[in-house]
Amino acid sequence: MKKKSLKRVLALSLSMAAAISLAACGSTPTNTNTKDEPETQQEEAGNDEAESKDDSGSKTEISVIAAQYGQNTADWWKTFESDFEKDNAGIDLNVEVISWNDISTKVNALISNGNAPDILNIDVFADYQADDLLLPAKDYVSEETYGKMYEAFLEQSNVDGTIWAIPDLASARAMYYNKDILEEAGAEVPTTWDELKETCKKIKEKFPDVYPWGVDMTTDEGQAAFAYYIWNNGGDFTDADGNWTLNSPENVAAIEYVISLIKEGYTNTDPANETRYDLQDMFGTGKVAMMIAPNSLPTYVADGGNEVNYGMAPIPNNNGTSVSAGVMDRFMCFDNEYSDEELEAIKTFFDYFFEDERYSAWVEMEGFLPATKTGGEALAAKDESLAQWIDIVASCKFYPTAKTEWADVKQGVINVEQNALLDGNVQELLDSLQGEIAP
Amino acid sequence: MKKFIQKIEPYLWILPSVLLMLIFILVPIIFVFRMALSKVSRAGLIKGFTGLTNFSKILSTPTFSMVLKNTLVWTVAVVGLSTLLGFILALLLNNAFKGRKIARAIVVFPWATTLVVQASIWKFIIDTDYGTLNTLLMKLGIIDHAVNWTPSAGAWFAWEIACGIFVTIPFVTFTVLSGLQSIDGSYYEAATVDGANYWQKLFKITIPLVKSSLTVSTVLNIIYVFNSFPIIWNMTKGDPGNRTDTLVTYLYKLAFYNGKQGEAAAVSVIGFLILLVCATGYMVVTLRKGDE
Repeated sequence: MKKKSLKRVLALSLSMAAAISLAACGSTPTNTNTKDEPETQQEEAGNDEAESKDDSGSKTEISVIAAQYGQNTADWWKTFESDFEKDNAGIDLNVEVISWNDISTKVNALISNGNAPDILNIDVFADYQADDLLLPAKDYVSEETYGKMYEAFLEQSNVDGTIWAIPDLASARAMYYNKDILEEAGAEVPTTWDELKETCKKIKEKFPDVYPWGVDMTTDEGQAAFAYYIWNNGGDFTDADGNWTLNSPENVAAIEYVISLIKEGYTNTDPANETRYDLQDMFGTGKVAMMIAPNSLPTYVADGGNEVNYGMAPIPNNNGTSVSAGVMDRFMCFDNEYSDEELEAIKTFFDYFFEDERYSAWVEMEGFLPATKTGGEALAAKDESLAQWIDIVASCKFYPTAKTEWADVKQGVINVEQNALLDGNVQELLDSLQGEIAP
Repeated sequence: MKKFIQKIEPYLWILPSVLLMLIFILVPIIFVFRMALSKVSRAGLIKGFTGLTNFSKILSTPTFSMVLKNTLVWTVAVVGLSTLLGFILALLLNNAFKGRKIARAIVVFPWATTLVVQASIWKFIIDTDYGTLNTLLMKLGIIDHAVNWTPSAGAWFAWEIACGIFVTIPFVTFTVLSGLQSIDGSYYEAATVDGANYWQKLFKITIPLVKSSLTVSTVLNIIYVFNSFPIIWNMTKGDPGNRTDTLVTYLYKLAFYNGKQGEAAAVSVIGFLILLVCATGYMVVTLRKGDE
């Protein structure tokens, strides 16, 4: 008898063990980047989800899913939520903050179960718009708040003449250089592509162990490199009518130029595997002399315990005008068949969020650049080093994220770069990509 | 009544496991098959049945055949070499020697560490600029300049395979070791009396008797390694230009970077079928041979 019960206990614990091991199956990829940039992924950092409340009764409920930009995002939203509810007694706001690794998967799961959030804060919108899931921005943002946004930013969410999403924040790029290395090498800060090569040559001669120029062509952010060079050679992803022009002569020449920098030994050794974060680390230790990076680079270097005597300049170009690459994230509103009351509540939410003081504090806390004119003015007045960036961001170019083919183009150009590194012919590679995207 | 209860009792006991398997294994498989046969929007909405379109799209790209070849090389190299090395290690650890317990514990280490950590450490060791391998060799005076250990996609893939082998060996070693320990010492005594040498004992006694353990470890390893994601993802993400992608990293990129969930599901189904055929085929062949 005793033996039998022992067997039962054993069987039970075995079945429990089976359950646990099943639950433990599968692994999640981790990404060790820190978020200093919209549209790249970020590591999970103790994801604090706002708890839902039961006291909604007759209150209007709004659900928000927000991306986790940094360590303080979740706390900031928690405070926002309670302040908002205090000031707007009739509205029950629920904000859920989700890490960049999981946010799209989570939102897609909610959508396919018919539970789309009311408001979503994420990088891209075109896929949701293509499935007719969104409301036009003017339906859910008050005129006053809408008027605060930079026109150029709103235009990034234009599909067929309608603006579908509003920007929440932005970031832009410039060239950073190590003043000491350039000085000792007797090199000038380059403004053109010819000068860039000349400077690289001088640095290489003086410091054979230093990589003069940093290039990132990884799956993480290779599309940025593509943009830097084509835009600064007068090329673009699309023409004025929005048709894809991936294999234009300017684009081909631009990519051939950057590949030549790599092949001539002026860059880091493995651009297909070294991410911008690796380059930033090397810039911090003086291993990389010049690179293109966002405004957060100085903070990143300082956080890593390094000190660099750096300077900042426009990205070198080949056609007379330097173009900076901008990146922005968005707010969008899902069409959940709202009553007038609910739409008013959503408008109230955006008015509250974009209220100048609150908004600039948020942008500053996250270490980005503002997407509103008033926010930009407020921050520029406060911080001189930011003023320079706010000028850059107001005039930079953006990826064509409003087009549904963007995800394929993004992966496609990275693939072209990496195959060019493996001695592929740039013209043929871009021709075939153009054929795939716009047959 | 008592008889009836006795009759169904075993089924009741296995019911929780069966239910769990249905929920966590069968249901997802059905979902993946459904997705592979549907048009899926980038936002994840299923927009109707499309038959085999996703499959034909995938099979028509040159990338897929390259990725499939990589997957086969990866699986065969990692499983083959780790089985060989693990088996040798098990033979060594089966001998009585001082510190055997410690040696066995050390062998477990690579297995006990998370793959993500392992892959990151390997990547750090072979790094051209800051890698510990270069630092060590330079300190020892073997090299005087930092060596680029990963000059090509092939080199990256070889390092990934090496890392895969390193983390797979412990599992083989312990499975084989358990088999070795169950072999009765009298077989060897009898063989020694009959004048058999070391190799004869190895091939006529040891290998036949640990064969079932080896089969189990090989089948499980084929499945694990074929589906392994963390090593390749953390070291190269399948770059450059898909040269180090296997089916799993490729489908991850398709689903979460390109937003082509239908095609990703099709790749997943293809992988599942290949694995099903290989694993059952291997088991049937080896175990049947054993029965004869």
